Parts: sequence; structure tokens; C-alpha cells
Amino acid sequence: MHFDLNFPVTASGSTSQPKKNKNKQPQQSSQAAFTPAQIKGIEARLDLLEHLGYTVIAFNQSVNKKIDPKTHVNILDGLLQQLRARPGTVFLKRLTIVLDNDSEKGFGLTNANASLVEPYDVIALLPTTPATFSLACLTHSLPSPLTAHIVALPLTLPRLPFQLKHTLVRTAIKNGAVFEINYAGAIGGESDASLSTFGVSDTGASGKRNWWAAAREVVRVTKGKGIIVSGGVASEADYRGPKDIANLLTLLDLAQNLAHDASVAAPKSLILRAQARKTYRAVLSEPRLVIPETTQVVAPIQQTGDSEKRDNVNISEKSSRSSPNPALTLPQPAGSKKRTCDEVSLESTANRHVNKKIREAANAEGQSRRKKKKGGNR
Amino acid sequence: MVRFKNRWLLVEFVDTSTVDASAERESSSTRPLDGRLIYNALRDSVVTNFGDTGWGAVGMSLNVKYFSPLTNLCIIRVARDQHRIAWGAVTLLTSIHDIRIIPRVIHVSGTIKHTQLSAIAHNREVIARFRTKLKNTALHHDSYDDYLARSTREIEALHD
Repeated sequence: MHFDLNFPVTASGSTSQPKKNKNKQPQQSSQAAFTPAQIKGIEARLDLLEHLGYTVIAFNQSVNKKIDPKTHVNILDGLLQQLRARPGTVFLKRLTIVLDNDSEKGFGLTNANASLVEPYDVIALLPTTPATFSLACLTHSLPSPLTAHIVALPLTLPRLPFQLKHTLVRTAIKNGAVFEINYAGAIGGESDASLSTFGVSDTGASGKRNWWAAAREVVRVTKGKGIIVSGGVASEADYRGPKDIANLLTLLDLAQNLAHDASVAAPKSLILRAQARKTYRAVLSEPRLVIPETTQVVAPIQQTGDSEKRDNVNISEKSSRSSPNPALTLPQPAGSKKRTCDEVSLESTANRHVNKKIREAANAEGQSRRKKKKGGNR
Repeated sequence: MVRFKNRWLLVEFVDTSTVDASAERESSSTRPLDGRLIYNALRDSVVTNFGDTGWGAVGMSLNVKYFSPLTNLCIIRVARDQHRIAWGAVTLLTSIHDIRIIPRVIHVSGTIKHTQLSAIAHNREVIARFRTKLKNTALHHDSYDDYLARSTREIEALHD
């Protein structure tokens, strides 16, 4: 199951030919509709991605400097409705906020704007100054309805503008955020058009060289653990299959198993964690109350910290003696433990449909791989 | 015994114009690609991305063994110790002779046997995809059958 978490989508103007209107945010308050030609282009790219083997794709809308409730338009909802449904592929919505000097005072990722940010599945921040980088790593990776899940880095700028400090990076990874490497920079094509208008990326031969230097630095500082690799590709011919990308990562001094994880395991746990944003402080499972038939009043013992449900505490205390009932123990707020999200049972999370689709996609791929194996051994 | 070990890369060049339905240019039926062009493009890619030392590491053992214009399938042989450099160079290829392509490595193996099996299976898949596009039934004999037979023979004729 392979993930491409950066499929750039721009508001008005097709994604493959950079044209008019890139600098302005769409001013109209109604949703921006996509013309049939743009839809055709997007469908074609999705076909290509499917052919290359990607099953989970996140559409990425980029915003400059800050999100403003007055001018921000969620273009991805309209897009998703217009695309035909593909079995075996999961679509997600992602918002990227480019942070620079002006955003140091605050860029709208506050409780007041939580409703703006809610429809997106994944949030990413792209810092360009040291101050915003430390902001992104420290304050915004803590679990809350507003966390940023991905810290994307501008890898093609000459001389990465800030030094990747080991302590910051380690805190971010411990909190569960991941760092993103966009492989479009290595291929050298015109990278994400919206990024270049925001002045964040550099194309051509020097962009490629900077990409190798910066990506290598990211791998070194993170020691390969909290990395995801994604597309960020503007023109179609720059897409590459997942195995090829894993090989490119090994050329960055990343071990083979970690390179494989970067495109399979890390994005998966990232998406699970992103679902935790919709819950309170990354608690994923709900306590399930089981009431057995016999009701004997037993002296209340302080077991669960829930004082409102006292009677149920008595009853359930008895049941927990009879059979080990793990459902009652309230899970600890998994603030800094991102791994608990993986082990938690998937059935009681908010986004059931996404989980089901991920499981279906995994099953479908497992089956097709098995079928292919059967056909090849003659 | 110190044997000289190889890696066989099975590469498919995905043509963006056939996958992208909205492109206006037509894919010419006689593709100008052939093994020699691929070798040259690969050599340029290694030199620009990995320098002269990269080419020195890879060049002696790099060999394009087979190329099929209809399915865009290519078999490349490299020495095992440097196959990652060659693989990287293949990935970073963007165009051959002004045609933009997407190289995709389907299979990597140490012996020619499994490469052959994988190549034959891939040819069959591609032909099946062509046939569904033309909406022919499976029993309908068309020129693809000859092509399949011929390419299978060519692939099996490959040797070390």
C-alpha cells in the first residue's frame, strides 16, 4: 500500500500548466468549481498514479502565510465531488500553510479558526525561517484539534534557510509529527507551481543540487525515523513509482528498510494520527461500558476516575473481576505516544469510512499481488 | 569462489501520452526508441547525476539487453555492487530524445531466469490491457498473438 500525500491542487487554473491567478487566493465566497478540462487532467494523473501503484492520495491545497477566515475557500470539497469514485483508492484532503516572516505573530491556526481547518484530514506547515520552524516543531505538533501533522521543508531553496536543530526535530518526532521530503525536487521538473509563486522553491540545476544536500541533511538529523516521502509533482512526467523513490532514498544514506518505511509505514501511522485530531487530545478508543445481568451492590472502589457513573462502576467492577474487561480502563491521554494509535482497535474511531477503505485497499493489493505471484511461476 | 554477480533490471517506460487522455499529441506508432538510444540516455543520466566516478563504477558492466518498442519494456544488466547507482540514474531519467517518459522499474533479480519470467508476464498484462481497450474478446486472434510469441522467444533467447 503506497501513499502519495502531496497531490498539488490549485484554485483556479489547471495543475499541469502554471498560468494565471496563482498569486491571489480566490476571492469569491462560493466554492471554486473546476472546469471539465481540469477535471480531465486530474483524472488522467490519478490514472497514472494508480498505474504506478499508489493507493492513498491526498489532495493538497496550499495557502500562503496564514489562513484567513474571510478569504479562505476550501476547494477540495468541490473537487472530490466531481471526481469519479475509484475502488481501491482512498482520497484525502490536506492543507499546507506556508509560513514566513509575516506569520511569526500567528497565522490563524487557532481555536477560533478550528471550523475552517476541520474538513481537512491532514494539516502541514512549511516553515521558511528559524522562528517559524521552531514554532512548527514545538507548539504545533502537540495533539489537539489544531495540530499540524506534517512539517514540510522547502528542499530546493539555496542553503536551507534554517538549521535543523536536533532537539527541535526530536521533540517533533516524539510528539508524532513527521518531516516530509518531496521527490519532485530531485527529478528537477517544474515543481509545485503554487510554491514557486510563494517564492519557496527553485527549479533547474541548482534546485536539484540543493534538494540532494537538504534531503541528505533531513535524513541525517532525523536518523531516518520520522520521514515521509511524497510527490509534490506539478507536471505528470515527473511521477515515479514507489520502489524507484525508495531506491533514491537509499542514495541519501538512508537504510533500505527505513526507506521502505518512509513510503509505507510512516504515512500510514500519520494518517491514523491525523484522525486523532478529531478526537480529544489524541485519545482514540472509547471506553465501552458493559453491564452484566446480575446487579450486586459492592462497595465502590476507586477504579475508573469517573464519578458520575457510580452505579455502573459498582456493577462493572464485579464484571471486571469475572472476566478481564479491557474496555473499561480509560486510555491514558496519548499525548506523546504516537505509537499507541497504531495498536488501538480501529473500529471505534471517528472516521470509519476512511479506515474501511484503507483496509480494503490493503486487501485488494494483497490479493492482486498474490494473483500475480501465482501467474508468474510456470 | 568470487563470482561476478549481476543485477537484472526490468524497466518499463511509461509513456505519458498514452496514459494522459487529455494530451493532444498522438503517440506515433513507430516509436523512435531503441536500445542504443536508451543506453546513451542512461549514460548521460549517470554522468550528470553521479559524475565521472559514477560512470566509472557502472559503465563497464552496464548493458541494455532487450528492448521492445510495443510494450516499452527494457532489460538492463548491471553489476550487483553498483546497481543502486544505475537504478537511481534510471529513475532520474526524464526524457529520451525529447520524448518525456516515466521510467518504472518493475523487477530486480539476480538471475536471468526470473527476469525472463517477469518480462513475459508483464508483456501478457500489457497485451491484455491493449485488448480491453480495443474491446476484443480473448479468443479473437489478432496481431498481438504473433507479437507475444515472438517476444517470448526473444526474451527466452537472452543469455548472460
